[in-house]
Amino acid sequence: MTARSTQNKRKRFDPVLLLVLLLIVFLTGLLVQVILATDYLGSGLGDDVARFQDLSGVESPVTAVLLNFRGYDTLLEVMVLLMAVVGVWSLTRAPFPKKPIEPGPIQLAVVRLLAPLMVLFSFYLVWQGSHLAGGAFQGGAVLGGACVLMLVSELPWLKNISSRFLRIGLLSGPLVFLGVAILCIVLQGTLLDYPQEWVGTLLLLIETACAVSIGLTLACLFAGGRPKDDLSGGRKR
Amino acid sequence: MISFDDPSWIVIPIILPLAAGLLCFLTRRWAFAFSLAASLGNLLASGILLKQLLSVGPLSYNVGNWKAPLGIALRIDGPAILMLLMTAVTGLGITLYARGYFSFRISGQKKIGRHERQERFFWPLWMTLWASLNGLFLSADLFNLYVTLELISIPAVALAALSGKPASQIAAFRYLLVSLLGSLSYLLGVVFIYRTYGVLDLALLGSKTASGAGIGAALALMSVGLLLKTALFPMHFWLPPAHANALAPVSAILSALVVKASFYLLFRLWFDVFASTITEPALNLLGTLGGVAIVWGALQAIRQQRLKLLVAYSTVSQLGYLFIAFPLAYLEKGADIWAAVIFMALAHSCAKSAMFMAAGTIFLHAGHDRINDLAGVRSYLPVTVFAYAIAGVNIMGLPPSGGFIAKWLLISSSLNSSQWWWGLIVMAGSLLASVYVFRVVSRFFVIPEGYHVPDRQPHSPLLEWPALVLALVALLLGLIAPYPLHILETGSSLFAMVSQKGLLL
Repeated sequence: MTARSTQNKRKRFDPVLLLVLLLIVFLTGLLVQVILATDYLGSGLGDDVARFQDLSGVESPVTAVLLNFRGYDTLLEVMVLLMAVVGVWSLTRAPFPKKPIEPGPIQLAVVRLLAPLMVLFSFYLVWQGSHLAGGAFQGGAVLGGACVLMLVSELPWLKNISSRFLRIGLLSGPLVFLGVAILCIVLQGTLLDYPQEWVGTLLLLIETACAVSIGLTLACLFAGGRPKDDLSGGRKR
Repeated sequence: MISFDDPSWIVIPIILPLAAGLLCFLTRRWAFAFSLAASLGNLLASGILLKQLLSVGPLSYNVGNWKAPLGIALRIDGPAILMLLMTAVTGLGITLYARGYFSFRISGQKKIGRHERQERFFWPLWMTLWASLNGLFLSADLFNLYVTLELISIPAVALAALSGKPASQIAAFRYLLVSLLGSLSYLLGVVFIYRTYGVLDLALLGSKTASGAGIGAALALMSVGLLLKTALFPMHFWLPPAHANALAPVSAILSALVVKASFYLLFRLWFDVFASTITEPALNLLGTLGGVAIVWGALQAIRQQRLKLLVAYSTVSQLGYLFIAFPLAYLEKGADIWAAVIFMALAHSCAKSAMFMAAGTIFLHAGHDRINDLAGVRSYLPVTVFAYAIAGVNIMGLPPSGGFIAKWLLISSSLNSSQWWWGLIVMAGSLLASVYVFRVVSRFFVIPEGYHVPDRQPHSPLLEWPALVLALVALLLGLIAPYPLHILETGSSLFAMVSQKGLLL
């Protein structure tokens, strides 16, 4: 019965799907036409960014826009990433296998070699973000890669990482960013108006904390759930 | 050191709930204390901002002291402050109700662990959602608005899935897909705007009015994205299951606040920023869809067997009134454009959150929400049933409720602009609304023969009273109607004023 119905499903030609397909093709065509027909009046904000680069405290224009000129956007974006983790944690526990699997010796050797290097490289990327391409998001991605490498190797101690430790790590970026933003109100009177003499240091501090958070965020999303002691307070260890 | 005239009060409604959300995630024990403190602080800040607005007019604030084209500006005008106050009042009620709701469920000792999990993750998600709602109302930057939309939809989806039942998870997943599609469509529109004008600030865009294929496409893309999130008929398909299957405080948040945010942004874009681009057919299309939504949503609500689904379909219907305002507002001037819409939003927000709270309390006590089996509820939940009935008065639009004022404004403006058919739909909608309200309320109040009154389970007053207070706020809104209108008049000329002064560096 089930086999027949699936067969029927495969053979049946769905007219609604065809209509949707036609609609999408039509809209895509319309979009392409509009893109070609649009006349561009403005030159964007590139000139403004270049004019105020010296005041931003960093040499890289991308970092200047992300953390200084439009730092408020980035503050909220960092919160979006955190909320993704909170959402995943609220759904389920991390599905670690019951019985620990012994990783192979070659795999272990590779992880032992690569993971520290990747961590080191991620912080290099953060530091480099002040003058070249790089920054918190790139560094965090590499850091997340290192964590994912350890997760797929199923290192046995990973599932025993306490929830409190993870939460502090996840919150470090948003907390430091928000803390600096509030500090700016106290010192300068305006949200995210960094004091001129400290601006470079503050940006590096924010970037480092955010890189840690972003790396952990990606790893937690990969792990796919909350740590096992998140609600019980270590009771079920 | 802190003065009431300080311009930095404008950021308090954003950073206070944001900080509370972070702290709630860090420690579970103090979560309610942090949330309550943030709610009260937010109410205080909104009040101070209202005072500033009334004394000096619309306010503008440059984040990081970078002026408009380069940096991000926050602005407060009449509509923004009223939405902010609406969120502050409704949010405080929901926060208190959620406390009562979760402590009642945790004390029930059924399914230990599940209720703790729900409470533990509710607070950080709700606080962050609140911060981003306030951020959306205050923001004056097209891309920053996209970020706030994202920061609204991610916690909203997580909250919708919080109950853990398969039905709610499926509904939440659908909500996630719709919400992401809406966000991306909006973002594509923003890309068009930025490529065409090279600026993102709303006031600067409002002063640079030119029409062309690019702007038309941008406005269409952004509007479709926002309409998906606002659940205008026929894009409402995701709303009833997502709102009805969520936990009661979450349903209140989603129905009362979240759909209003995307609507507010849509209305602002159409009438403040791109007012010169919009055409009459587009307005009439939205009005027609709104009219269909009113009738369709009400008919579906009448058919429902479950109380929460009925209330959710009522939201679909009530959202339609907001869109009827589009063709009517086109011919109005100044503050009148916003008047009907703001009244509808304020009244619906208070009334609908009260309805969902009442439905949630009834569900907790009766163990189900099948309307046919709910006869006699008033014998053991009198306050809750009273709150539901008063909220129903508001949904029907009887005087002196805020809903009455909103419908009155809509009907009178439809007669003044000789578009009487919109007024007819508004009246028909009210009639249908009274059917689905009375269908439930009459059952609540009638105690059948041989009815055995169940033992009253002990519960905190927080489970019943916030709903009643919010319903009364909605009811009495009509009596203080001139005051919100005065606020709107004070603050509506913002965009004209700012573009005259010039915001360029």
